[in-house]
Amino acid sequence: MQSSKKIIVLGHFGVGKTSLIRRFVSDTFSDNYKVTIGVHITKKVVEIKAGDSMSLILWDLEGTDDINAVRQSYLLGTHGAVFVFDVSRPSTFQNIQKDLKIVSERISQVPLMVVGNKCDLVDLQELKQVLTENHIEADFITSAKTGTDVNLLFMKLATLLSHNA
Amino acid sequence: MFPKMKEQDKIDILKDILFEDGHKFEERISERVELLEKTIQEREKLSEKVDPIIAYQLEEFKKSMPDTLGPTITETLRKEIENNKDIVVDALYPILGKMIKKYVAQEMKLLTDKMNSQLSFFSLGKRKLKSFFSGKKEEELMLNDLASAKIEQVMLIEKDSGVLKASYAKSKAMDEEMVSGMLTAIKSFVEDAFNQRNQNLELIEYELYHIHLQSFATHYMAVVLSGNFVTSAKNKLQDIIFDFYNSFMAMNVDLVFETKNAKKSIQPTGKRRIEREMAKYFGHAKL
Repeated sequence: MQSSKKIIVLGHFGVGKTSLIRRFVSDTFSDNYKVTIGVHITKKVVEIKAGDSMSLILWDLEGTDDINAVRQSYLLGTHGAVFVFDVSRPSTFQNIQKDLKIVSERISQVPLMVVGNKCDLVDLQELKQVLTENHIEADFITSAKTGTDVNLLFMKLATLLSHNA
Repeated sequence: MFPKMKEQDKIDILKDILFEDGHKFEERISERVELLEKTIQEREKLSEKVDPIIAYQLEEFKKSMPDTLGPTITETLRKEIENNKDIVVDALYPILGKMIKKYVAQEMKLLTDKMNSQLSFFSLGKRKLKSFFSGKKEEELMLNDLASAKIEQVMLIEKDSGVLKASYAKSKAMDEEMVSGMLTAIKSFVEDAFNQRNQNLELIEYELYHIHLQSFATHYMAVVLSGNFVTSAKNKLQDIIFDFYNSFMAMNVDLVFETKNAKKSIQPTGKRRIEREMAKYFGHAKL
């Protein structure tokens, strides 16, 4: 049996949302940065367990410094969400508690993954310290460039969604 | 007086006088031959050493050429193209011409196929009757038939999430799940931008195709059409969509009203069943 789930990926400008999706869907990476305008939609079918697959429809929303500015219509009917910040750029996670509160209010009762991306650019020990100091509990620390934990992130979300279904 | 010479001495002196130039010439030739032999031997020795170096350098040059000369060549070509647009157009014209010719040929083939089907005995009879009763010319009726809109693809999409519920297509050529997501995003964007949540995006035109969007409360339908999508065709299509949607809702009415009180759980209608219904309604629809 195959079900379809809408997953939105959101966060500030240039945190690597598109790169994360590209790494997950086509296992590629490009240093060439192109701003996402509006929304870009891709799809990947994953196998949750034998004979049970799920079609993940990934909505890559344009980056914004004000999470309130994300169009409500893009959030409607979402089954799961991924909030991405850039571990090498404090401005993308300094107000993360506020940002996450807004996201949770706007899409309540759906699994939300908090992801620190670009871990290849920082020292992991220092990063742990920074995250602790800022009271940030990231579900995954990823690198779209090296592929670190990218598949794991989306598979975890898909599994959560299959349990919720 | 000279002492009396012997006969043999006289002959030798005479020979010396007569062949003096010949000796010199013989010596010069022998020198040249020696020089030539030396040169050939030296070249062979030289090439043994030099050839691998030249081959290596050539190989290195081939490798580094894209980096070293690539940008220069690209820049030069760009400038040349800019400066000689007419020449470039002339050069490209035959290639473009072939592509256009191929496209026209394909369209002509489609038209011929359509005309053949229009000229079949059954169609001719039907048209004659129609012409007789409607008062319209047969040619006019035939052209109308040729240009009429055809349903290529139908998608039933969840309004908020953009998730594809079911679809029907004569031949599948696209990823319908991604397209339904994208159509939902476009639809949401337009409706948001105009700040009119109670109004809906109804039509998208894409080259030779029209995408008709019909919104309902929880779902919307996207119908991809080719041909001439005129108002009368739109009306007919809407009737078919409404009929189908009524049938779809009837399939789910138990789910809507009886789930809470039902003794056993009621399952939503399966995708396959909805698609069978879709094929029934849209498969042979005439617009």
